[in-house]
Amino acid sequence: MARGPSKSMNRWSLIVLIFLMLGFVILSGRLFYLQVVDHDFYQKQAIDYQTREATLSAKRGTIYDSNMKVLAQSATVTTITLSPNDIKNEEQRDLIVRELSRILELDEDKVREMSRKNTYYVEVKKQVERTVADEVRQFARENELGCIGYVESSKRYYPYGNFLSHVLGFTGSDNQGLAGIEAYYDKYLQGKSGRLVKAKTAKNGDMPVDYETVYEAQDGYSLVLTVDEVVQHFLEKHLAAAVKEHSVANRGTGIVMNVKTGEILGMAVKDDYDPNQPFVIADEEVRKAIEEIEDDEERRSQLQTAQEHQWRNKAISDTYEPGSVFKIVTASAALEEKVVTPDSGFVCEGSIEVVERKIGCWRTSGHGPVSFMQGVKYSCNPVFITVGLRLGPSLFSQYFEAFGLTERTGIDLPGEAGSIYVSEERMGSVELASCSMGQSNSVTPIQMITAVATAINGGYLVQPHIVKQVLDSDGNIIESFDTHVKRQVISEETSATVSELLFHAVNDADGGGKNAYVRGYRIGGKSGTGEKLGKEEDLYVASFLGFAPADDPEIAVFIVLDEAHSYSIYGSVLAAPAVANIMGDVLPYLGIEPQYTEEEMEGLDVTVPDTIGISPNSAIARLNAENLKARIVGEGDRVLAQVPEAGQPLPTESTVILYTEENPEDIYGEVPDVQGLTIAQANQAMTNAGFNVRLSGITNHSQSVLCINQSLESGSKALKGTVITLEFRDSAGGE
Amino acid sequence: MIRMEQKVTRLPVGRVARPQKKKRRGGIDAIFLVLVLVLLCIGLVMMFSASYASAYYYEGNSFFYITKQLQFALIGLAGMFFLSVLDYHIFHRLVVPIFIGTTGLLILPRLMAPIAGVYRWIYIPGVGTFQPTEIAKFALVICFAHIVSLNYKRIKEVRYGLVPFLLVIGTFLAITLGLQRHVSASIILFTMAACLMIIGGSNKKWLLAGVAMAIALGAVLVFFTDFLQHVMPRIEGWIDPFSDVQGSTYQTAQSLIAIGSGGLMGLGPGNSKQKYLYIPEPQNDFVFAVVCEELGWVGATLIILLFALLVWRGFVIAMRAGDKFGSMIAVGITLQLAIQTLLNIAVVTNTFPNTGISLPFFSYGGTALCMLLGEMGVVLSVSREAVLQKAQN
Repeated sequence: MARGPSKSMNRWSLIVLIFLMLGFVILSGRLFYLQVVDHDFYQKQAIDYQTREATLSAKRGTIYDSNMKVLAQSATVTTITLSPNDIKNEEQRDLIVRELSRILELDEDKVREMSRKNTYYVEVKKQVERTVADEVRQFARENELGCIGYVESSKRYYPYGNFLSHVLGFTGSDNQGLAGIEAYYDKYLQGKSGRLVKAKTAKNGDMPVDYETVYEAQDGYSLVLTVDEVVQHFLEKHLAAAVKEHSVANRGTGIVMNVKTGEILGMAVKDDYDPNQPFVIADEEVRKAIEEIEDDEERRSQLQTAQEHQWRNKAISDTYEPGSVFKIVTASAALEEKVVTPDSGFVCEGSIEVVERKIGCWRTSGHGPVSFMQGVKYSCNPVFITVGLRLGPSLFSQYFEAFGLTERTGIDLPGEAGSIYVSEERMGSVELASCSMGQSNSVTPIQMITAVATAINGGYLVQPHIVKQVLDSDGNIIESFDTHVKRQVISEETSATVSELLFHAVNDADGGGKNAYVRGYRIGGKSGTGEKLGKEEDLYVASFLGFAPADDPEIAVFIVLDEAHSYSIYGSVLAAPAVANIMGDVLPYLGIEPQYTEEEMEGLDVTVPDTIGISPNSAIARLNAENLKARIVGEGDRVLAQVPEAGQPLPTESTVILYTEENPEDIYGEVPDVQGLTIAQANQAMTNAGFNVRLSGITNHSQSVLCINQSLESGSKALKGTVITLEFRDSAGGE
Repeated sequence: MIRMEQKVTRLPVGRVARPQKKKRRGGIDAIFLVLVLVLLCIGLVMMFSASYASAYYYEGNSFFYITKQLQFALIGLAGMFFLSVLDYHIFHRLVVPIFIGTTGLLILPRLMAPIAGVYRWIYIPGVGTFQPTEIAKFALVICFAHIVSLNYKRIKEVRYGLVPFLLVIGTFLAITLGLQRHVSASIILFTMAACLMIIGGSNKKWLLAGVAMAIALGAVLVFFTDFLQHVMPRIEGWIDPFSDVQGSTYQTAQSLIAIGSGGLMGLGPGNSKQKYLYIPEPQNDFVFAVVCEELGWVGATLIILLFALLVWRGFVIAMRAGDKFGSMIAVGITLQLAIQTLLNIAVVTNTFPNTGISLPFFSYGGTALCMLLGEMGVVLSVSREAVLQKAQN
């Protein structure tokens, strides 16, 4: 054994071996620590590195009007991405830069710059339409370019552009609702986005193994609005016309509401903006002015202010002093509390003294001795001040609150403002006097129309709402929003009386609201002219709130014009015609049949009968049978032509011109200018020129009722016998 | 035998007379052989698993590395069987050429173009590259075994028990550290030398002094000079492996993620995710990270157990070898394998700063695998003369 290893050698070998074994044990322990104890930490790190997550965006729900017309819809768009580090050579880079910039309409230098970044991911262009994305796909496929990627998302489309913009709102680039319905119902509309988790190599390639987990996206719910696209269209049309005609500086707003259910049929603000590009300032002058600001920070801040201004829904977010429209609330409270009856007598001396302070009536000469009913018709300030004082601060404040004017209405739109009002404790007689006629307290238009709806619908305070139903992606109804009556404020009898008084205000010859008259319909209403305090010039908010039918109100239309610059300051002159025009279009559309009084029947249209080929005498007889007159031109024994043609509508008592000879002369007439003339004067001028007249607007023969519009421009030529529609309004109206 | 030793005491290093009579040569140790073959098979399979993704990505062929490795494995096995049959005493006579040849090979890279920025590799056209330090480790074993077997009786004397050792290790370290700045190889060589001297019976005081000096020298070189400037960042990265994951600690961090995410049972053979280009060159030094990820703690520990068994068996062969020369060779070669394995796993698990040490049987590298199998053949050759069963005694 001497040749072999010695005992000492083997002892030391053993010691070394033990140390080595210890090393193995330690490393196994170290592995245990890493793999078992710290497993979760490394697992998470591994997932972070090894997986690529793609968001599967949920399709945002559609917004429909009450007749299921699409108002807002989402479509799939694609973000084109590029992995610059995977571009193989300069030749390929040139090709990619050239083609991508061409297809995507981008600046070539910008794309080139992107292609040189040291990264695996740049977004070349967001929200690319499907056809364009397909073109990119084809280009990438043909040239076998794996470095171009696609991320699909959805984009919001508003097919009618500016239409209903303040109600609809808009969405941001990440598909989140930022304003209007889009924001308020964002949770419903958005749906739940899904995820695609995919394993990737360190070079961002796909792993060959099938490792892919999909969490499906859940599409958003759709909304059905109470808004009727047709009603909204009429509202926007006539509101825009009024805003333009009267040079309204601080925008106008309009609301059409079903007073029984609280459903909003239309809500508009003019000027508006295009929700397809909400960040573009719609007002070109403002936009140019902002673009010209040189200081970057200043420009940004101005732009932001302008954007916020154009997005602001005036109907719910801005408060104003409602003026005389508020007198409906005062009247309702006073009638309900029986401090007054329609026949109670007052004397208006042009002003009234309240605690040694003189408060004037809008009519400085005074209304003289009047009943309460007349006071309402004339919107007489002393009458309402007296009535308000009779109620006292306590009752007045109670009703103010009961009509919902101290709380937000709770309409399902974001950004509703609350009112600013004089509290009972701080309300002295002067304040009460001011409040009674609609000054001092500031409310939102939506609060005002809701309060008036309460006054006329039987006394029930209903919550206005704008969404009718929530549908899932298959069209099943998930949720319905029905009428929510908060409380009854006044009795049905009082409510009927209020409606009756307001009907007279529109339909009586001496009514202050007669500009809201629509032939065949029982319109009630009240104008308002709120003075804006604390401004350099005298500025007013002109408004009119009309409703129909007066004996069983269904629809209320409210028009508010903020800072009109026109021939009058009064709501009864500036806003009432717009209300009348909206009513005239909306009521027939809603299937409310006109009922004409005997007087109204006179000017109604009849259909022109066919008289061609018959003798002039029998033609006259045939026309007379339809309450039409005839004028025969020429000596022929047969009628060869007639103006207007057979089948045309023509007001009764109009004249049909019958031509009995070939090639008659002098068949054209020149349209005269009749604007500013009374009905009699205008009629005369038109008849003299050989034209027929159809009257619209107010048709009673008062000296202050003047023509404000004619359907054919003065100076133009038209066939004699043509019907020209003339719109008459009371221009001298006050409150 | 005693006479023979006395004859050669004049020379600390030098020629040895041929043994007077042929020793009986038995069969090779089947346990050691089986362990080698099992580890080789597992190593090849796991190297293939770890490499095929990067082989496909960078070489366009998933089988790029495994094809080459298999060829070298076959050559290596042939070499192993040849050496296991060859009487290992031949190395007695080859000691001087081995020492001189190795010294020359160690200097050679300095005279050639640098490969991968360092002078550590020798390029042989048609075969590939290899590190002469691999040969130096074997040469060290042979030289030390030779010295111990000749000088065992006077091993406590400076002239016989210290100077010859210092001559060999000093020459090697001067080159590996001075010319190649190859820290990991130097550490392995130094550790092997120290262990072999301890076992060989050198005075433990010298060793203690030597180890202390080496540590002091290393510390001075690392911390106070620029001589080993590439080491310091590695140590910093070792302390916080997630400090620079996009840069210097990327490899270590990815390795830890692979190991940690493997968990107790692993993702299953072939299912590593980190091998998809996350771990750089997963077929090389960090192959064990992929092993841990795929086979989990259980699998990794089983493989460590196989290594441990092999080391144990190597030591058993050494302790029962027919002579001191064979014993020292078996210990030395087994020690080298053990130290490489321990250091590699320590680096992969960030238990030791990142340095280039391959894992025996697992890491890709043809010449290294051939060397390894050849060395295993030498151990098997030693086992032929070892008395492994009491009954045979």
